[in-house]
Amino acid sequence: MAEKPEEILKLFSKSEELLDMFRKGKAFTEELMYENERLRYRIVQLEKEKIDLSDTLMREIERFRLENSQLSGKVEFLDSRFQEIEAENKDFALRYVEVEEQNESLANLYVASYRLHSTLDPVEVVQCINEILMNMIGSEEFGLFVVDEETNELVLAGYEGEIAQRLERGRVSFGEGLEGMVAQTGEPFFTEDAGDRGEVCAAIPLKIKERVVGVIAIYRLLGHKMGLSGLDHKLLELLAGHAATALVSSKLYAAADRKLKTIEGFMSLLRVK
Amino acid sequence: MGAKSFLVVDDSATFRQLLCMSLTRLDGVADSDITEAVDGEDALGKLKDGKFDLVLTDIRMPNMDGLEFVRRVRNDLNRKDIPIIIISTKGADEDIQLGMSLGASGYLSKPISMVKLRELVTGYLAG
Repeated sequence: MAEKPEEILKLFSKSEELLDMFRKGKAFTEELMYENERLRYRIVQLEKEKIDLSDTLMREIERFRLENSQLSGKVEFLDSRFQEIEAENKDFALRYVEVEEQNESLANLYVASYRLHSTLDPVEVVQCINEILMNMIGSEEFGLFVVDEETNELVLAGYEGEIAQRLERGRVSFGEGLEGMVAQTGEPFFTEDAGDRGEVCAAIPLKIKERVVGVIAIYRLLGHKMGLSGLDHKLLELLAGHAATALVSSKLYAAADRKLKTIEGFMSLLRVK
Repeated sequence: MGAKSFLVVDDSATFRQLLCMSLTRLDGVADSDITEAVDGEDALGKLKDGKFDLVLTDIRMPNMDGLEFVRRVRNDLNRKDIPIIIISTKGADEDIQLGMSLGASGYLSKPISMVKLRELVTGYLAG
């Protein structure tokens, strides 16, 4: 069984190699175990971080949820405020239009009233009433009648259109026709439509307190005007009072002026003698 | 817009006063200088002597009516730069077309809405 020394050396060398391989295997296993240990520690760390992160995330979600509900409340509030302000804006716009309309009415009424009382000449007063009826109310055909107290008739003092041709004498008796009826009753008359040719669309008594001193009759409005507006009614109401006083005071002034001039002429004649 | 000057042409003193009242409270106009004329002839004379930013004229007037006035301003005086707005009781389409064909810049039918008038005037003054 004795082996040769070369073979023994060869076996020894092989066992050395094997031993070296085992050593390397051991070192590698130790390295793996160390890496395993490190990774397990890392896993524990990550799990802990995960739990921490999850907690943070939950808290953040809760905070965002709270903020969201608060913001939703604010949005709802702002939305309702916006609706309110929009409604207020609309209301202001409507009121602005109303104020503008009232301004317009007041301007018209002021000018009409101012013009009526700016003169003591009966002719100018009649002309002013004609201008108001044409330019401010939009009448195409109308008649302005004044009461002749001696004959108890309405005398045509101003007009536009064909009324003068229709009234042969330029006079209407009290109670005769719509103009006469309005003069007799002292009550105004209105129709809703613009009035066809010859049809009375409005007749207004000119009154000083209860005394009727004249009548304005509107027979036809301008072609593009569909009817009498609220402002037209106000202007006619104003005319009913102010035109009456303007007409009467100018007539009285003219009569007094005439008398004064006669007396002055008479006096100067006496002085000469 | 600063101060503006207007020429108001109408034989009705009542309507002239109403227009003047409206022109004195225009949005954006600091001061309104208003000249009144009683008919087209009177207005032509005043237009030759003065400088106006806008003219408002009636049609039915004695001596020279508004249409003739517009025609003369555009053709004889060769003033095509000045806006002229006709304000008349004649409100039919053919009346409006006639006025515009003679050179009017705008047309309003009487009785007028002051709001509309101010809008129209402000529009022309703005450019």
